[in-house]
Amino acid sequence: MSRASVRRVPARRALPAAGALLGALALAGCSGSAAPAKAELSVSSSYMPRPVAADMAAGFLTITNRGGTADRLTSVRSDAAGDVTMHSTTGGMMREQTSFAIPAHGRLVFRSGGNHLMFEGLKHRPAEGQDVKLTLTFARSAPLTVEMPVKSATYNPATGH
Amino acid sequence: MRKKTFTAAVLLAAATLTLSACGGGDDTKTSAVTTLDGGSSSHGAATVLDQPFAKPDLNLTDTHGKAYDLRAETKGHPTLVYFGYTHCPDVCPTTMSNIAVAAKSLPKAEQDDLRVVFVTTDPGRDTPSELGKWLGGIDPRFIGLTGDFRAIQAGARSIGISVDPTTKDKKGNLVSVHGTQVMAFSPKDDKGYVLLGDNATVDDYTKDLPKLVKGVNP
Repeated sequence: MSRASVRRVPARRALPAAGALLGALALAGCSGSAAPAKAELSVSSSYMPRPVAADMAAGFLTITNRGGTADRLTSVRSDAAGDVTMHSTTGGMMREQTSFAIPAHGRLVFRSGGNHLMFEGLKHRPAEGQDVKLTLTFARSAPLTVEMPVKSATYNPATGH
Repeated sequence: MRKKTFTAAVLLAAATLTLSACGGGDDTKTSAVTTLDGGSSSHGAATVLDQPFAKPDLNLTDTHGKAYDLRAETKGHPTLVYFGYTHCPDVCPTTMSNIAVAAKSLPKAEQDDLRVVFVTTDPGRDTPSELGKWLGGIDPRFIGLTGDFRAIQAGARSIGISVDPTTKDKKGNLVSVHGTQVMAFSPKDDKGYVLLGDNATVDDYTKDLPKLVKGVNP
């Protein structure tokens, strides 16, 4: 129960026909018309440290892209919160971002002290053991829903307690 | 004075995660981290300073609305001082919660002796009652202080911790930027020899607190 369960939403675009794919491969290298490999996104290591109060909470997760095309996380929303925003830390400053890049064959990591999701206006103060349901929206891929487990206020993902 | 600043800076430079604002930030802002050189040594999550800091001379208001003189009230007690604010989603509640959990593993007498002081960097919103409510959700024994921002900023600066006034970002969110270190003051001479960064875990505090409450460096 320590991992977030992720439900994949069917991809918007159908796979290209095999013949078209072969043709695209044949052309690759001499034209930009090759059908791009899709981003293949999955979510892991999601958790919310139990917040001190309902008005503010942080959330963390990792988005892994096993595909050959980059994507972007463009929004996060949750019925449990009035507003969910995405923040980065650069040069010691936390800044709200409108989107985050997910590199091809790479990861986008939200972890304590770095990038984080900020939940404001939670309807209730979440209790340890509960799940907070989120929907992640991407520039290219179909949305993903995440059941983010609420952990203790001192939860450390490195040690698992 | 110069030497002091240098000493403090080492850890600021060493710990790259020293400063954070827990809110929507303004992109035009520059980092509040000051780069300095100085003497210190690292022991796990703790950084031991060659030149200790005097306890900040802070006269503020506690969560009961009463005047609180930090030096007088905490004299002779092992004291942890942290500057942060309650509208902070990530580092502030984690740091205070880590200390709260670790402190519970100290013997009762040492728990009673320890003073954990949270000084707000956002006094506009963190009134005594707001602070009291927030700290009550973490550990009711923790001391919360609020008051004049400039006094708070000067107190933080006196121990090498940078604090900016609360500002409004483009979306109208109020943001506070503050250093995220905890400074531990010895009960022996009331001086601050040890800084703990925001990466310090419950296990780090559990390991270091028994020494810190005795005035021994980790």
